[in-house]
Amino acid sequence: MTKKKTKDTAALLKKKITELTADDFAQLEKPLGTSSRPFPMWGPQRIEHGGRSDIETVLSFIASDSNPLMIFSERSYEEVVALAYCDMPVPSMLPIFKDGLERRADPLVRQKDIIEGRQPQNENFNRTQMMIGDPGHGKSFLGALQGRLRTKGSVEIFDCGGKNMNDLLFEMVLDFGAGDALPKAIDKRLKAGSLEEISVGLLKTLPGKAVTVDADGDVKSIDWTYLKNAGADEVQAAFDTLKKVSTIEGLDNAGGNALGMNSQFGPLIRAYQENREIVLDEYNKSREGSDNALQTVIQFMIGEIRETTVDNPLKNKDNTSGPSSFTFKREDMGAGFFVTFTGNKTEDGLTTRSLNKSVYDRLKPDTLPDPDVIDWQHRICQMMVGLPVSTLYTTFKDEADKDPEAFGEWLMWLRKTKAEVEGAPVPELQETLLTNWQNVVQASEKLALFYDRWAGMTDAEKITYNGNADLIEEVDEEYAKKEGMSFRRIKQHLEEAIPIRARMEPVDSPVKLDMKSWSKSPKLAEKVEENPSLHFGSRLVEYIERMTYEKSGSVGKNKLYNKLQKAMEEYGLRDISLQEGARSRQKSVEESLNISAFSDRDLGKQAVLARKIFCDFVRQMDPEIKAEDDQIVTSKKFLDALQYVSTKETAPTNELFVANRDPESLYAGNPLVAAIIKDAAVYAAADKELDFSLSDLVHHDDLIASFALPTVGAKNLSSVWDQNIRPMTRGDAKPVANDAGDADATTPANQNTANNPMDHDEAMYISENRSSHGIATTSVQVLYNDEDGERPVSVHIVRNEQRGKTLVVSEKAPSKLLAAFREAGVIHVDRKDPMAKTKIETALTDLTRGMPASIKDRLTDAFKYRNDEDAEHLRGKNPQLADLMIDPDVDMLYAKFVVKNDKRANGPK
Amino acid sequence: MMQINRQENDMPTETLKEVGAVVAQQKAMERGVRFLPHGSRLFSVAAGWESTMIRQDKGVVSCDTLLTLEEAMQDEDARVIFIPADALMTDDDIEKICQRNGIVKTLFKEVTE
Repeated sequence: MTKKKTKDTAALLKKKITELTADDFAQLEKPLGTSSRPFPMWGPQRIEHGGRSDIETVLSFIASDSNPLMIFSERSYEEVVALAYCDMPVPSMLPIFKDGLERRADPLVRQKDIIEGRQPQNENFNRTQMMIGDPGHGKSFLGALQGRLRTKGSVEIFDCGGKNMNDLLFEMVLDFGAGDALPKAIDKRLKAGSLEEISVGLLKTLPGKAVTVDADGDVKSIDWTYLKNAGADEVQAAFDTLKKVSTIEGLDNAGGNALGMNSQFGPLIRAYQENREIVLDEYNKSREGSDNALQTVIQFMIGEIRETTVDNPLKNKDNTSGPSSFTFKREDMGAGFFVTFTGNKTEDGLTTRSLNKSVYDRLKPDTLPDPDVIDWQHRICQMMVGLPVSTLYTTFKDEADKDPEAFGEWLMWLRKTKAEVEGAPVPELQETLLTNWQNVVQASEKLALFYDRWAGMTDAEKITYNGNADLIEEVDEEYAKKEGMSFRRIKQHLEEAIPIRARMEPVDSPVKLDMKSWSKSPKLAEKVEENPSLHFGSRLVEYIERMTYEKSGSVGKNKLYNKLQKAMEEYGLRDISLQEGARSRQKSVEESLNISAFSDRDLGKQAVLARKIFCDFVRQMDPEIKAEDDQIVTSKKFLDALQYVSTKETAPTNELFVANRDPESLYAGNPLVAAIIKDAAVYAAADKELDFSLSDLVHHDDLIASFALPTVGAKNLSSVWDQNIRPMTRGDAKPVANDAGDADATTPANQNTANNPMDHDEAMYISENRSSHGIATTSVQVLYNDEDGERPVSVHIVRNEQRGKTLVVSEKAPSKLLAAFREAGVIHVDRKDPMAKTKIETALTDLTRGMPASIKDRLTDAFKYRNDEDAEHLRGKNPQLADLMIDPDVDMLYAKFVVKNDKRANGPK
Repeated sequence: MMQINRQENDMPTETLKEVGAVVAQQKAMERGVRFLPHGSRLFSVAAGWESTMIRQDKGVVSCDTLLTLEEAMQDEDARVIFIPADALMTDDDIEKICQRNGIVKTLFKEVTE
């Protein structure tokens, strides 16, 4: 590893506070919470309610150019703000965050005042902060974050659990000599599998926390750093063991493999000497009575005394060498030194102890409040997209609502700047979610309310008074400790939801079982790459559903399970179409987080996606084309095309835009070409002959490709509908059936007119895309050629407008379009696919989910308005819709032809 | 028939490598994440071209023992860490090392499928 040269600022925090100059301060100061860049803050405020005022805790902000929060940091300004906004602690911890930043800054502000000849504003020399809270609450994270905001280096987190606290000052360590030669030699042999068996056996006897053994009982790793400072007793035992291993392996003969024991300055003195931060984690889990020598040091660190000297009790013990004593002096205090103590609440198990009153008096710990809904939501957003969108939105709601695009760009800037600090790109999933930040805010709020409810149900201490007293028999302290809701559990849920895995199909999905030739591997269809955000919401909600069952119902806690189920419903985790009568505009969590790459409102980004799909399609259609995307069509040209399409009002005129593969016009910069639907019904009504030929028809693949393009596909799917059959049936035909009783009275289906019996016909509305249920079907004809020759073929379309999902049944589609179909919400079925019928039935079940059972029959009736089911081969067979759709011999009654390059209206000349 | 042929790719090798590494990282990120203490993240990368691209990316530090991982965690210039499939460490070991080093790193662990 090579190190870059450190910049000037990197050394500044290593200086003594008293040695800092005006120039140093100019470089170190990074304000947070200024008038134009406010920083969120949480705390109590007096709020007026109709002439009466109450103290309430609110989320507001700091925005002062005169007195902002000041971070003295060796990082650049942009890094500091990106980290402060992205890694911001949850709202209820913000006051502690503010306090910590101020404690770090106070002695430096004082020094600056002195340098500038002002009376110092404060005499605060406290270099500590202590916080107590539940496990997993983010205490050590907060301590380290404050350190990370100041320095680029790592903040040491010292785990005090079970340790002698006097070791913080002087410790007995294993001395491996220069370059850790012995550990490296043992690691090398361990990796090569060349250690003697007896050595492996001995290594397994090292302290448990230092050795990881795999399921086969083999040593997988040795944590030498832990071992080195494991505490006097364990160091002695490890020394004896390693001496033996060293001898057995013949490593004791090599010059560099020295092994010894020494006493040295402990982690606290080293942090003080090196002017850096340290977090003493789980301080109240340390060994009882082991911190006597630390008391005067704590007094020094909180600024109560100016100087203290501590002696090394280990000096000369067992003939070890080491320092005799150390003196802490205020004038030597470095700018970067700070100590964060964290502790767990004493209720957290037997190993947590209550500290001496003197320690509490001196360190004045802050107790972290239990997380509120706003905290859950904050943390959920951070895990989902890498920054707390919800807190930022709540704080700056008016500004964000006024200009959501600019707000989104600002969020993206923060995330990308943080990614630069992390050295890796923003994951695609996070970028897509962030682009749709409103969805994230909406979904995270529902999730937060649900998790808060779950936390309330599994908190044994509070269930008697938080409305969950009925769970008292099912939730005891042991269960609460083991399965209580926490930030860690949410983290696990989100981790599980990110990867795309095998999915269980809905129970009512049709299934096809091929019972032949199981001795051979199955023949798989071409793998279709899926965008990770396309079904992220479904994966997350399915996992949460699974967990609610596993943590309650499956272990006999039925009341808890029922309550969790109700909470899931109440907070809209599931797709609304599953819930009776819930056709509201409120999106479920599932729907909000299932985000297609096509949903990006930025037409420029859509053009990038569309061009890639189009060029892949063009190359697949003609393998001789080796041209790069830019050579086929430039991004600019594709953007122009999309802009044109997006502004055209095409639905009333049945105009379409299809893929253009004509070389001349394509290379002139036209990836799309206009087409129009010419309806045989209109020709028949006008008593005219068709005035175009087969060669005028758009090719099947060019139409199908258009459905796979963002903007274009949606536009075309809104332009294939007509009401041309209605006049031909008016007064002549009886309504096939109707579902008027199920429908909304304000929708066309229920605007009953006595003179028009067909207005009762749900099937007719479905065929016109005017059904109150939002489901529609139609068919068009295009040109196709294969081994059977050139001919017109039908493309059947079933669309659920509300859910933006479409089933398209036609001939085989080019495989390069398949991934794009998913993004576009299109399920394409090749009618020759042996699984076609099952696939269509599955799609129809999904598209009609939540609708009356009769809708499938009405869909079939609607299909029959355009397609002739009276073919000879079907007589007496009562075919289902799926059968009709895959049947190539089902002709269209009045065909709707997709004709290319024709500007005329959808009828005859 | 289109007549355009693939032109000679004149993209510098270094740029190609960088692009390859970013693509490999994005693919690894799609496989899921393990959130580690202090904001570090652990991604799995498939053994093969993806792991090779990440391992060879400049600025990426490869660690095959806990000693070298600890060293990388404390190196402020090592922002991305690569862990080969045969490294002497488990995911829990990695989490433990991240817990005691309060810094954000991005880790890619090679996995064989």
